[in-house]
Amino acid sequence: MRKLGVVADMTLREMLRRRGVLILLLALPLAFYVVRRNGYTGESIRALFLGLSWAISTAALFSASAGRAVEPRLRLSGYRSHHLYLGRLAALLVLGTGIAVPLLALVALDPAQDKVRTGGVALAMLLCVTVAAPFGLLVAALVPRELEGTLVLLVVVGMQMVVDPAGAGAKVMPFWSSREIGTYAVDHTGSGYLDRGLVHGVAFTLALALLVAVLSSYRLRTRSHMRFASGR
Amino acid sequence: MTINDGWLRDLGMELRRRGVPGGTADHVVAEAATHLRDSGEPPMAAFGPAGAYAAVVSDSVGAAWRRARRPAPGPMRLRARGIVKRYRRRDVLSGVDLTVHAGEVAAVIGANGCGKSTFLRICAGLISPDKGTVQVDGSIGYCPQDGGTIDFLRPEEHFVLVGGGRNWSRERSRAKGRAAAATLDWDASTPMLSRHLSGGTRQKLNLVMAGLSEPDVLLLDEPYQGFDRGTYLDFWEQVWRWRDSGRAVVVVTHMLNQLDLVDTVLDLSGANRERWS
Repeated sequence: MRKLGVVADMTLREMLRRRGVLILLLALPLAFYVVRRNGYTGESIRALFLGLSWAISTAALFSASAGRAVEPRLRLSGYRSHHLYLGRLAALLVLGTGIAVPLLALVALDPAQDKVRTGGVALAMLLCVTVAAPFGLLVAALVPRELEGTLVLLVVVGMQMVVDPAGAGAKVMPFWSSREIGTYAVDHTGSGYLDRGLVHGVAFTLALALLVAVLSSYRLRTRSHMRFASGR
Repeated sequence: MTINDGWLRDLGMELRRRGVPGGTADHVVAEAATHLRDSGEPPMAAFGPAGAYAAVVSDSVGAAWRRARRPAPGPMRLRARGIVKRYRRRDVLSGVDLTVHAGEVAAVIGANGCGKSTFLRICAGLISPDKGTVQVDGSIGYCPQDGGTIDFLRPEEHFVLVGGGRNWSRERSRAKGRAAAATLDWDASTPMLSRHLSGGTRQKLNLVMAGLSEPDVLLLDEPYQGFDRGTYLDFWEQVWRWRDSGRAVVVVTHMLNQLDLVDTVLDLSGANRERWS
């Protein structure tokens, strides 16, 4: 636990020192929200969810890419691969929550959103963060180059934006849960939307984290040609 | 402080930096002081620059002393056998062997692109060979040629990160890192981020990180890139300190002037692949 904490701490410090990036991480969902604010109420909130998801997954992608060169030598220093990916994931969840809180406050205080269920918005934002962080890490693990990874994120977010949410294809998109819960929060629908969104969000969070674990463990495995006579 | 005092102080520092033992260095400084006093000559006229004179003295007494102090090799720490690596159908490494014992320094030399870094990364377990095995007794520390540090962390935070792998407290990691950095004539308590360090200082950080967790085997891939002359000498002093404390050290190098001070040389040049001791 101590090792995991050190990794999370250092990852968080590294990200918090990128002031320009932090501003942009906040500005991206904010821009999505403001642009749609004069339209239908629900659209601005759904756009905010998508912007938040995009921002956090991009942060995760770049964070993982930055750590790629250092992680093998940290393995040699005594860390196991789960310390490294779980520590990074924990830091991203803290960062994502830190970005989501002022955005949630904005929605709660915005007179144009006075009829929305704030609890539902908070839950959707939480799921945006918990899905986006491992999703960005997964893209980084599958596509090691940052530019290609960024383009993959762009494709996914673009598809998420245009796909019919009622269609079967929408359910395989990572950020569908926030749309469902958003509908519950904005349109005051029954709890079916909330339940579906919650199950989808939790399932995607767990599945993405598991895939990240498998890929990270494989990349940082002890190679088969190494024969250790005593403890490392 | 007189001119003589300043020159003698510089001479003493340069001798120690070059690994001349304390007693011998003091003796050389005392002899030089006596000569300057008796002759009345200015030091630059009598001996030239302190660094140059220290180099001459070091070459004559320092190297012999280093050879004399070599401890007997200990148990095998690293054994690479039959390492083969191909890139795009080109053999980079074909059947390379290397054995390094505790208390030994091995140098890996060869032309650019002959596979020195690849061989070291295979020994560290960072990449897989196409054939061959690497047997290691103990833990490994690895210093890459470049990269390997985190741009937005301070040097002491790097020490905490590496020490954390050994479950060390943060203060212990910082203290050990600062002490190791001091041997390279570097004050690592700077609040500067790694990305703002000069290339040479960043390599010092890399080197300190590699040795911080007190590994049994140190794999150093040309770690002195960007070092000034003094730091380069400090680096070799550190290598010999590691050797004397029973570590096995492998250094990728093309600085042939240090090869008489290592125990084993692995030459990976294509036409001249050989191992000599």
